[in-house]
Formats: sequence, C-alpha cells, structure tokens
Amino acid sequence: MSIIREHTQATLSDAWRTIDIDALDPDSPANFDTATLHTALPDISEADVRQLTAQVRQLLRGGDAEGALRGCLETPVYATNTGTPAAVAAAAENGSGNELAREAALQTVVEVLQSIKASEMTPMLQRIYGSPGGSECLDVLMKYLYKGMAATSASAGGSGPRTPTRMTPQPTGFSQIGPRPGAATESTGAAMSVLLSWHEKVVEVAGLGCIGRVMTDWRRV
Amino acid sequence: MSQSLRPYLQAVRSSLTAALCLSNFASQTAERHNVPEVEARTSPEVLLTPLTVARNENERVLIEPSINSIRISIKIKQADEIEHILVHKFTRFLTQRAESFFILRRKPIKGYDISFLITNFHTEEMLKHKLVDFIIQFMEEVDKEISEMKLFLNARARFVAESFLTPFD
Repeated sequence: MSIIREHTQATLSDAWRTIDIDALDPDSPANFDTATLHTALPDISEADVRQLTAQVRQLLRGGDAEGALRGCLETPVYATNTGTPAAVAAAAENGSGNELAREAALQTVVEVLQSIKASEMTPMLQRIYGSPGGSECLDVLMKYLYKGMAATSASAGGSGPRTPTRMTPQPTGFSQIGPRPGAATESTGAAMSVLLSWHEKVVEVAGLGCIGRVMTDWRRV
Repeated sequence: MSQSLRPYLQAVRSSLTAALCLSNFASQTAERHNVPEVEARTSPEVLLTPLTVARNENERVLIEPSINSIRISIKIKQADEIEHILVHKFTRFLTQRAESFFILRRKPIKGYDISFLITNFHTEEMLKHKLVDFIIQFMEEVDKEISEMKLFLNARARFVAESFLTPFD
C-alpha cells in the first residue's frame, strides 16, 4: 500500500496547518479548567443588583456614603463564565453570562464613587480598611476601578454614531467635518480622573498588594 | 506636569510595580522551550487579569501580566489627524529599532500604538524600578515629543507656504 493516500481538496490546501490541535486535546494545558482556581461563585441576577442599587441610592441620599460604598463592595457580582476555553466560548455564544448584572453593579459602584468628595476619600478608606473584612472590600474596589477604566475607554472607543470622535484608521484624507475630538472627551475624562484619584488613594491605604490580588484573583468582576 | 497627568502616571507606576513580579517558567506544551506566556497563550491558568489604566478614551495603558512576562501597551494621545500621523511615524521609527530597546515589541497589539514586552530574563538582568521608570518616562516624553513635532511641522508648513506664495504676491 502506498504511503501517499488519495488527495482531496482538503489535504491539498494548507489550511490544516493553522488548526490549533492543542484545543482539540482534552489533556493539553490549553484546555485547563480555570473554574477550579476559585471557589463556587454565587449567581447574582440583574434584578438582585437593581434591588441593591436602590438600597445604595437610599443610603447615599441619607448621607451615609460609607455605608453605600460598603454595601456595593460586599456583594460584588463575579463573572460566572470561567472554565475551559471551549466552555467560555459556548457561554459567550448562547449569552448565558451575567454581563448585564455585572455592568449594572459597575454602574452602581462608579455612581457611589463619584458622589464622594475628594477630602473624604482617605479617611473613609482607612475606616473601611481597619474594619473586619475591610481588606477584601478594598480589593473588590480596586477590581471595580480597573474595570471602570477599561469599560469606559472601551465603550467610548467603539466607533458608533454617538461618538464621532473616532478617527479614520488610515490617514487617507484630512476630514475637518467632525467636531474637535477634545470636546467629547471632557465627560469621560472627568469620570476617569475620579477613578484615577480613587486608585491613588486605595494604593496609599491598602498598598501594592491590593493590585497584586486583583491580578491573581480569578473571581473577576 | 498637568494636574490630571500625575494621577494617571502614578496609577500606571503602581500597577506596573505590582505586575512586574516574574519568575522563570518553562513552556508546558513544548519541551525545553521557554516562551513568554502572555504571547504564547497556551496555558490559561498562568495568564493573570489584564489591567487597564485610562486617562480618557484616547489615552490608556493595558497591562497584561502573566507568570513569566508582562505586556504593556500604550495608546498615545492623538487629538487630530496630524498627531495620528506623527504618532504612527514616531512609533514606527522606534519599533524598527526594537533590538536596541530590549523590551520593545516589534508590533503593537490591536487598538494601541506601542507595546512593550518584559520577560523574567529582563527583570533578572535589569533593575525593576528602572524598568518602571523607563516606561513612565517614555509616557511623559512621548506626549511632549509629539506636540513639539506638531509645532515644528506647523511652523515649517507656514514658512513653506509663505515662500511658495511670495512670487504671486
């Protein structure tokens, strides 16, 4: 029997070279189940988050900003779409992740952060850090700070009709029609500077370890 | 330094200092290979949560940490199309000379203008705080450089236009 088998269209092309065979091997490190790296996560629905947001708003109106901040940091909504890469892809496809709930939780945290005055930040963080379970709270806050910065820059960076600041990717023409890009960035820039100053204060109070724990924790907000 | 630049650079500095904690880690897929895991992406458990620090939508830094390497991608401020071209030319100039910068990546990742890749071998032979200082200084200088180039460009264009149009005066 000849070694050379019959040629088909599939074997003649070199498309098979680009197949990631590691993804097909269940024992390969590429298929490591990352869900084993954290404990079981509570499944918090969007309705729960809305309820929490209402409670937090009430606390804010009552002048208890610290209680509001603690309230939203003690029940973070973690991403449930962890696991093997195949499982993550499948979850993304059928939309079973809790994206909406996480987004709502982020909005709540950012809202609370924006309503707290700059002079109150450090004493409040020190009180939270000193109280039992405070270190975990600040880790969660740090997670939300990074997520807030990533989310606002991603949503603003997307080319939509709402944000005409997006430049043409190729320098093909000098379009002067759009408004000056600086004008629309004012609001996002202001939101960002709040998050940046909170970031600085949290690092001052909780130290660099708090960033390290954000990176290494698989419970992602 | 402007008021909003300081907290931005401070946030990048502390994130980088925390992320630059690398150790030697051999590839789990290929024997006797040692590749930056953040580039190879063959083992999901050694890739850590990516961190984004943003000043506004046009200026942000993405830090992707992993066990033996971190990738830092910077989006440089581009207010208009002239600055867009200048940034493109400037980063191209740098990336073509990537060997002399050691940690510079030849190609930026999508959505960013310039990327750095620091592996454990870099942190073993270079001082960590100096590496952080280098990135921060680069970020400080590049904005200045671009706006300076823009001013020069405008001045030169004005001069050229004037001398070109003199005969028609």
